[in-house]
Amino acid sequence: MLKFVTLFISATILGCTYGLISLSYSLIYKSSGMMAFVNPDLMTWGAFLGFTFYTLMGLPYPIAVLLTCVVMFCMGFAIQKGVVRNLIKRNVTPMYITLTMFAMGYILQNLSQLIFGSVPRKFDSIIPGLKIQLAGIQVQPEAIICVGVSLLIMALLQFFMNKTKLGTAMRAASMDPMAAESVGVDVSLISGLSWGLSTTVIAAAGILCGPIYSVSMVLGANLGAKAFAGAVLGGYGNMIGAIIGGLAMGFIETFVSGYISSDYKSLIAYIVLILFLFVKPTGIMNERAIQDV
Amino acid sequence: MSAMLELEDFRYSYGGVHAVKGISLQINEGEIVTLIGANGAGKSTTMRTICGLTEPQGVQGKIVYKGKEIQKLSGHKITAMGLSHVIEGRHIFSKLTVDENLEMGAYLRKDTKNIKADKEEMYRLFPRLLERKTSLGSNLSGGEQQMLAIARAMMNHPKMILLDEPSLGLAPIIVTEVFKAIKRLNEQEGITIFFVEQNSKIALNSAQRGYVMQTGEIVISGSCTDLSNNEAVRKAYLGE
Ligand SMILES: Nc1ncnc2c1ncn2[C@@H]1O[C@H](COP(=O)(O)OP(=O)(O)OP(=O)(O)O)[C@@H](O)[C@H]1O
Ligand SMILES: [Mg+2]
Repeated sequence: MLKFVTLFISATILGCTYGLISLSYSLIYKSSGMMAFVNPDLMTWGAFLGFTFYTLMGLPYPIAVLLTCVVMFCMGFAIQKGVVRNLIKRNVTPMYITLTMFAMGYILQNLSQLIFGSVPRKFDSIIPGLKIQLAGIQVQPEAIICVGVSLLIMALLQFFMNKTKLGTAMRAASMDPMAAESVGVDVSLISGLSWGLSTTVIAAAGILCGPIYSVSMVLGANLGAKAFAGAVLGGYGNMIGAIIGGLAMGFIETFVSGYISSDYKSLIAYIVLILFLFVKPTGIMNERAIQDV
Repeated sequence: MSAMLELEDFRYSYGGVHAVKGISLQINEGEIVTLIGANGAGKSTTMRTICGLTEPQGVQGKIVYKGKEIQKLSGHKITAMGLSHVIEGRHIFSKLTVDENLEMGAYLRKDTKNIKADKEEMYRLFPRLLERKTSLGSNLSGGEQQMLAIARAMMNHPKMILLDEPSLGLAPIIVTEVFKAIKRLNEQEGITIFFVEQNSKIALNSAQRGYVMQTGEIVISGSCTDLSNNEAVRKAYLGE
C-alpha cells in the first residue's frame, strides 16, 4: 500500500509535467497546425531561467516563476514572428517547418549547455525545513507546488481558451484565418500570442519540475517524446485530451517502473500508445487530428 | 450622392498571374450594386482585395473607401472602418456554435452591452438560426451557414457589406429569402451593398446598378434595367 501511494504521488508529478508539455504542443497545433518539436528545449530554458532567477539571483520563487513566464512568452512570440512567419511567407512545405523546429531545439539545447555547463544543476529548496506527510509518506513541498500549480494552469488555460473573447479569437483564427481577419481579428498578432502562450506553459512546466528533477540540458528532451505521445494519445490538438494523455503516460511509466522494472517503462508506454491508437485513432477525446487543420 | 467605395485602375496579380487587369468603379452611399461575370473573371479577387484578405504585394492601383486609401491595410483594419465581407463559400467557424460565430462578428465592438440585443435582432431576422443557436457551425446546412455568414457580418454594424456569391449552393426558395434579407438591410438599415452573383437574373433584379466582368476587365456597366435589356448581357449571362 505504501508503495502504491509513493508511486501514485510520483506518477501525478510526472503526469502533470507531461500534461503541461502536451498542452503546449496542442496549443500550437490548435493555433497554427504545426508540430512544435522545439517545445521540450524551451522547457529546459524555462527551467534554467527559473534556476537563474531563483537560485543564482536569489529572487523569491513566485517572482522567479513570473519572470520566467514573461521572458519565455516574449521568446515564443519572437520565434513566431522571426522564424515561423517567415517560413510560412516563403510557402515552404510543412516538412521544412518541422525540420526547423528540431533544428531550433538542438540550437537551444546546445546554447543552454554553453551557458550553464553540462553538470545538472540543483534548485535551492523552495520552502526549506517544511515537511509534509501524505498518507504516511513524506512529500517534498516542491512536489505539491508542482502538481497544484500545474492543475491551476490547466484550469486557467481551459477557461481562457473557451470562455474569453481573446481565447475564442485564437481558436477562430486557427479554424479559418481568413474569416477571422474578416471579422476584425488581427490574425498575425494572434498567431504570435498563441506561440507566446504555448512557450509560457512549457516554461512553467520547466520551472515547476526543475526543483524536483534537477536541471540539465536534456531535461526537456528526456520528457518531450513521452509528452508528445501523451498529446497524441489524448487526441492531438485537443486540450483536455492533452492533459489526460499526459497524465496517462506519467502513470503508465511510473507504475511499470515500480511494479515491473524501469527497463520496461518506455517499451510498455509506447506499446500501449500504439494499441490504443489501433482501437481509437482519434485519441481519447476524439480529435480528428489530420482533417482538423 | 457621395462615393462610398472607389476603385481606380485596380489590378491584382497572383505571382505572375494577372487576375484583375485594371478596373475602375464607384459605389455610392446607400446603393446596392452587383458584379457579375463568368468563372475565373476575377470577381472574388476584387472583393477579397478590397477587404484586405489577399496578399498586399499583388495589388496595384487605388482602393478608396470613405475618402481613404485602403489598398495597403490589412483586413482587420478595414473591418474596423465599417466595411464587412461575406466571403465566397461562407467560411463559418466550424467548431464554434452559431451563437459564438455571431459573437465573433462583434469582435471589434466596444459596446458589449448592446451585443446581446443585436444577436436577438439577428435571430429575429433569421429565425432558422435561433433554432440552431447551440449547434456547431459545421453542423449547419449550406443555407443556414449562408444566413449565419450574413448575420455575422452584420454584427459589426457595418456601413457597407460586400457579399461574394450569397446564393452559392442554395435551394431557389432560400435564395429568394437571402436576397430579401439583403434588400431589407439596404432599405431599412441604409447599408451600402456590393455583391457578386452567379445567378445573374436574381442579381439584376435585386441591385440598382451592375458591372459585368470578363477575364479581369469590366466590359459593360450600367443600371440593372439597361443591363437586363442589353443584347450581349442577355446572351451571355441570362441565357436568352
Ligand atoms: N490564390 C490564388 N493563386 C493563384 N491564382 C489564383 C488564386 N485565386 C484565384 N486565382 C486565379 O485568379 C483568377 C480569378 O479568380 P477569382 O477567384 O477572382 O475568380 P471569380 O470571378 O471569383 O470566379 P468564380 O466565379 O469561379 O468564383 C482565376 O484565373 C484564378 O485561377
Ligand atoms: Mg469567386
